[in-house]
Amino acid sequence: MTRKEREPEALLPLTPAVFHILLALADRERHGYGIMQDIAARTNGTVRMGPGTLYGSIKRMLADGLIEESGERPDPALDDERRRYYRLTELGRRVLQAEARRLEQLLRIARAKHVLSGAERGGA
Amino acid sequence: MSAPPSPTTPAHRWLQLSARLYRPLLLLYPPEFRRSFGREMEQTFRTCCREALREAGAPGLLRLWGNVLYDLTTSATVEHIRAWIALFKRLSGLEKELHMINSPFHLEFAQLTDIGLKRARNEDAMTTVIPSDQEALARRGALFVVADGLGGHERGEMASQLAINTISDAYYRSNGDDIAAALARAIHEANTAIYALSSQQEHEDEKEMGTTVVAAVLRGETVYAANVGDSRAYIVRGGKVQQITQDHSWVAEQVRLGALTEEEARAHQKRNIIYRCLGTSPDVEIDLYTESVQGGDALLLCTDGLSGLVSDDEMAEIVEHYSPQESVQRLIQRANEQGGSDNITAIVARVSLA
Repeated sequence: MTRKEREPEALLPLTPAVFHILLALADRERHGYGIMQDIAARTNGTVRMGPGTLYGSIKRMLADGLIEESGERPDPALDDERRRYYRLTELGRRVLQAEARRLEQLLRIARAKHVLSGAERGGA
Repeated sequence: MSAPPSPTTPAHRWLQLSARLYRPLLLLYPPEFRRSFGREMEQTFRTCCREALREAGAPGLLRLWGNVLYDLTTSATVEHIRAWIALFKRLSGLEKELHMINSPFHLEFAQLTDIGLKRARNEDAMTTVIPSDQEALARRGALFVVADGLGGHERGEMASQLAINTISDAYYRSNGDDIAAALARAIHEANTAIYALSSQQEHEDEKEMGTTVVAAVLRGETVYAANVGDSRAYIVRGGKVQQITQDHSWVAEQVRLGALTEEEARAHQKRNIIYRCLGTSPDVEIDLYTESVQGGDALLLCTDGLSGLVSDDEMAEIVEHYSPQESVQRLIQRANEQGGSDNITAIVARVSLA
């Protein structure tokens, strides 16, 4: 099977779920529950991803070649059940960078227009 | 990090109840999605429950259920819509994939053979033929063959290899609408070829050469199966296996007569005795079977190195939960865990609608 060379930009913007999963896998490979834990910890529990959203996103990210399975083994911190681990592919890493750069650009515009220093409006 | 709650605590009962309630809810997802991720989702959900209970007790578990139910309804809907879009793309030709003409059937298959743990050589052989020409595929279907050679030295390998090659050549050379008859003729041709080869051997003991065979043609919504010996064809549907072929073995005969159970047959010392075999006499009797298949069914062909060691339930469980590729690996792994006393071969082909 031949896979077409894809430009990372073609996949942007990412859905919040996909962006969070890529971020969770940026520093190391993780299993499904590990991804959920990392997202909850990074967002102080404000983003809670359910199993359906998580695996629906994983399915499409596998198909798009953003992530890949890196094997199955137990997590010593949890129990002795074997778990499937996922890691970023080279394309996944480039897509994550491109999305972060895109958001940074938006943030720069927001700063220039003093959106953040205005009245306290709470986060969105 | 956290030890599982002991089996008698209320927490453990909550966990078990949650897991039991979650499993049927997964039926809301499309079958293909469930097969790829159902297991993992259950596993992840159980861990979520355990951690929620540990952190916040019963209220924590209730909050988790609230999130999960919301997530379930939205994500299940999304997966169904995506499955429909994929089906539409395939049907409309936007996405070119292998499917049978005039039917939305889509075929995914994998085959694997393994020497096992006790044998010095692998005498099993297998082949899958899926004509790339759509017209040929619609007319002749896809062919799957598994053979288990007997005879020692290289003779078993020669017999099983000759069987699969002759059958696949002869079957696609044939014409006519009667698929079952064409399959039977192809197997007769293989019998003649192996018998001729063994007759050419100089020494009497070298004439001992034969093979079992199970062959199946999948065309449209019908599977045509044929067998000689104790290699088997099954259909896996809705988590249950249905054996299509009947073994021509001494133990299978005893099971049919009610003298042995399936379990006893697996362990019986005469389990290797077969009373029909390809290549040991000028003529051979072939049994033919016809079954209809539905979307989601999987066809499983295997040698006794698998069916003799792994129970029907276990095979069904594996094939139901994993892709064909992963199924054949797990089936063989399971047979090797059970001792791997013989060569192990499996072909899994799944017919799907989306």
